[in-house]
Amino acid sequence: MRARAYHKVAAGALTLTVGFAAPALAQSRTETLRYVTGASVNTLDPTMPGTTREAFAVSLATYDRLVAFGRKKLGDNWVFDLDTVRGELAKSYDVSPDGLTITFHLRPDAKFQDGTPLTAEDVKWSLDRAVSAKSLAAPQLLTGSLTSPDQFRVVDPLTFVLTLPKPDRLALPNLATVYPVIFNAKVARSHATEQDPWAQEWLKANTAGSGAYTVETFRPGEQVSLRRNEAWTGGAPDKPAAFKRLIVQSIPDAATRANLVERGDADIVIDLQANDAAALQSRGKLKVVSTPQFNAVTLVSFNNTMPPFDNVEVRRAIASALPYNDMFKAALFGRGTPLFGGNWPDGRPPSAGFPIPQPVHLDLAEAKKHLAAAGLPNGFETTFSFSVGQAATAEPVSALIREALAKIGIKVEIRKLPDAQMSTLISDKKVPFFTDGIVAWLPSTDYFFRNFYTGNQRWNYSSIMNPDIERIANTARFEQDKAKYDAEARELNAIHFAEMPQIPIWQPNQDAVMQSSIKGYVYQFHRQVDYRDLSRE
Amino acid sequence: MRTSLGATTGRAARRLLSSAPALIGVLVFTFLLMRVLPGDPAVFFASGPNAGQAEIEAVRKQMGLDRPIPEQLLRYLGDVGTGQLGRSMTTGQPVMKDLRERLPASLELTFAALLIALTLSIPLGILAALRPGSAVDHGVRLLCSLGVCVPTFVSGLLLIYVFYYLLGFAPDPTGRLDVFAAAPPGITGFLLIDFALTGDWEGWRAAAAQLVLPAVTMALFVIAPLARITRASMLAVLGSDFIRTARSLGLSRTQIVVTYALRNAILPVLTIAGIVFSTMLGANVLVEKVFSWPGVASYALDALLSSDYAPVQGFVLLMAVIFVAVNLVVDLLYGLADPRVSIS
Repeated sequence: MRARAYHKVAAGALTLTVGFAAPALAQSRTETLRYVTGASVNTLDPTMPGTTREAFAVSLATYDRLVAFGRKKLGDNWVFDLDTVRGELAKSYDVSPDGLTITFHLRPDAKFQDGTPLTAEDVKWSLDRAVSAKSLAAPQLLTGSLTSPDQFRVVDPLTFVLTLPKPDRLALPNLATVYPVIFNAKVARSHATEQDPWAQEWLKANTAGSGAYTVETFRPGEQVSLRRNEAWTGGAPDKPAAFKRLIVQSIPDAATRANLVERGDADIVIDLQANDAAALQSRGKLKVVSTPQFNAVTLVSFNNTMPPFDNVEVRRAIASALPYNDMFKAALFGRGTPLFGGNWPDGRPPSAGFPIPQPVHLDLAEAKKHLAAAGLPNGFETTFSFSVGQAATAEPVSALIREALAKIGIKVEIRKLPDAQMSTLISDKKVPFFTDGIVAWLPSTDYFFRNFYTGNQRWNYSSIMNPDIERIANTARFEQDKAKYDAEARELNAIHFAEMPQIPIWQPNQDAVMQSSIKGYVYQFHRQVDYRDLSRE
Repeated sequence: MRTSLGATTGRAARRLLSSAPALIGVLVFTFLLMRVLPGDPAVFFASGPNAGQAEIEAVRKQMGLDRPIPEQLLRYLGDVGTGQLGRSMTTGQPVMKDLRERLPASLELTFAALLIALTLSIPLGILAALRPGSAVDHGVRLLCSLGVCVPTFVSGLLLIYVFYYLLGFAPDPTGRLDVFAAAPPGITGFLLIDFALTGDWEGWRAAAAQLVLPAVTMALFVIAPLARITRASMLAVLGSDFIRTARSLGLSRTQIVVTYALRNAILPVLTIAGIVFSTMLGANVLVEKVFSWPGVASYALDALLSSDYAPVQGFVLLMAVIFVAVNLVVDLLYGLADPRVSIS
C-alpha cells in the first residue's frame, strides 16, 4: 500500500515536469478506448475461415449490417435479445403476412467511409457474396434458409427485397450475425480478380465499409487501431460513436491483462482468469459485469457410437457420479450458471428454452445401479480428453471426474491435447469421453438441436442419430405458432434428458472488467464487446 | 592484410555454401514432421459455427493440403527458392512478411539481453576467478544459481509486479512501444536504431524503457553460463606460465588480467555466447508472451498449437539460417581474439 502511495507521488511529480503536453495527452486518453485481449485480430474480413472472435468485434465496428439485435435485461445486466431485431442500415423492414418476403427500407443518409452513398446494389452484392463465396458465411446463412442470390432483389436504390422458400424463424436473426456485413460493392469489385471474384484476398487486409470506425493500423497478432468515422450516425440518436479512437491490443498473458486494467492503463478486458476477475471485483475499484453466457454451454460429452458409451445406462451412470458442485467451484469459482441440480416437477422439462438445468445429482448408489444395469458392475477403463486452450477450466474438471469415477470402478486416463489435434479427433469421432463447449449465435432451441444434435459432423459431439430429434427440430424451425413451438421445444428437452447423449454442466460467466467510468456494456451474441455500445462518463 | 581479408571472405563464402545441404535437410525434415503431427489445420481453421465437411475440404484445398505429400514438398521447395514461405492462417498474412516484421523485434530484444548479460557476467566471472573460494566467488555462484533456477516467466512476472504494478517506474509491459506513442518510420525495424536515425530522442527513450524489463529478464537467465565459463576459462589461463612470467616482470595488474589473461580466456566465452544467442532468439517464448513482445518465437508457438504448417516451417528455416550465420560470426571473432585461429 505504501509503495502505491509512493507511486502516486511519483506520477504527480512526473505530470508537473511534463507540464504542457500533459493536458492534451490526458484528453486524447479519455477519448480513447483501449481494449486488451489474449487473442488476436487476424483478418478484417469476418467471413474468412479461421477468423477469431476478436476479428468479429472489429468487423462490427468497421462494417454495418442491415439489421442488429436489440437488448434486454438478464438479471442486472444488458444482453442481446434474439427476439428483437432492429434496423441498422435499414431504417425499417416489413415482413409479409405469409412470412416469405422481407422488404428493407434503407436509411437515405447512409454513406460508406469514402463518402459514396450506400444503396441496395451494395446490399445485394454483399449478400450474394455471403451465400456464394467459399467462406464460413454460406453455412451460417443456410440455417436461415438464405442460400441463393436469386433470393435477393433490388427494387430501387433504397429498397431491397428478400424472399424465402419457407417462413424461416431465423432468416432475419441471421442477417444480424457478423457474416452478412455490407461492403462497398464498387470498391470491392475493383479489387476482384478472375480467381478471386469476391475480392477475398484484398478484403482480408483492407476495409470498404460504412461502419462507425475506420482502420488506422492493422498489425495481426499485435494491435489494431481504429479512428471514429464522424459521418456515421448509426448510434442512437443520430450521433457518431462515443470514443474517438479505439485500440484493440493483444496481450497474451492473463496476469498482465489484469495488471493493466487494475492500473487503469487498459479500459476493458473480457478474458481474464476467473480468479483474477473475482479478486478485482472484491477490491471494488473496477466495474465487473458478470454475465452468464446464456448462448454457450460447457458439456461433458460421450461418443454415443463407441462402446461402452453406446449404452444409455452407462451415460446415466456417469451423469449420477459427477461431483457437479465441486467441479463448478474448482473450475469457475462459482462464476456461472449451473445446468445441474435442476428440479423437473413430474419429470417433464419445465421450460421450452435450451439449455435448462437438468435434473442430475451426485448419487453414487444410483450410479452403481445404472452401471450394473449396463452389465458393467465392475466398471471399465476409458480416457477423458480436453484441449490445451481450455486447460484453465478443464484441468480441475478432469481431475475431479477421474477421482469421482474411480469410486464406481471406472478408471479414467486424462489426455490434454493441442487444440488442432483435439478438433481433428472430435471431427473424426475418435474421442470417447471429453469436455468441450458449444456456442450458438442464435440461441433458439431448434437451432441448438439442429446444429449440435444432428448429422455426422464435428459439432454433433455425441454423434447422436435420433430420428425424433431430427424431425421435431426441423418442424420447429418453420413453426409460426408460439404455443406449438414451445411444445416441440419441450419435447426436444425431454428426449435429451431421456437419451443423455451428453451432460450440459454449466454456462460460464463472461466477466467484463472495466474502469468505473465505462458504461453501456452489453453482452453480445458473438461474446465480444460491441465497441459502439460503450462510452465514458 | 588485403590478401588475408580476401581469403577470409572466400572461406566464409565456402562455409556458407557447405551449410546449404544442412539447411535443405532441416527444411525437408520440418516439412515432414509437421505433416506427421496429429492435428489437421483444415479442421481447426474451418471452425466457425456450422462449418461442415464441405468447408473443411475448401480450406484444405486453399492450403494445398489436398495434394499428395511429395507434390506439396516440391511446391514448397519451389516457393522457398523464390523467396515465398507460404501464408499463415493464424495471422492471415504471408509468412515472409510476418517474419520480416517480427524478427527485428526478437533480435533487438536478444541483442539487448546479451549485452546486459555480457557486461555483467564477464566482470563477475573475472572477479570470481581472481579470488577463487572467497566470499566474492560464492556470491557470484549464488547469483548464478538464482538466475538459472528461477524460470523466466516467474522472474518476468516478478519484475512486472515490482516495477510496473507496485512502483510504477516501468511503462506498461505491452510490446515494443507505448500504444499511444507514434512509431518511427520503418527503416531497419530496430526501434532504437530507427528512432536514433530520425533524431527522435523522446521516442528512443520510450522504446528503450519498454525494452529494459524483458531484456533484464532474459539476461538473468543466461548470466550463469556466461559467468561460469568466464570464471573457469580465466582460472585456467591465470595459472599458466605466461601469466607467471608477466607477474614476475612486474606488469601492472590491469595489464595482466585484461590484456593477457582475458584475451586468452575469451574464446570459450565467445563460443558459449554464440550458442546462448541462438537459443535466446528461438526459445524465449515465455518472455515474449509475458511482455507481449511481438517476436518470432511466440509467433511460431501460436502457429504450432493450431497446426499452422507454413509459419512453423518458415520459423525453423529462419532459425537454421541464423544459427549458421551466428556460428560464422563467432568463428570470425575467434580470429580477432586470437590471430592463431582461422576459420578454415
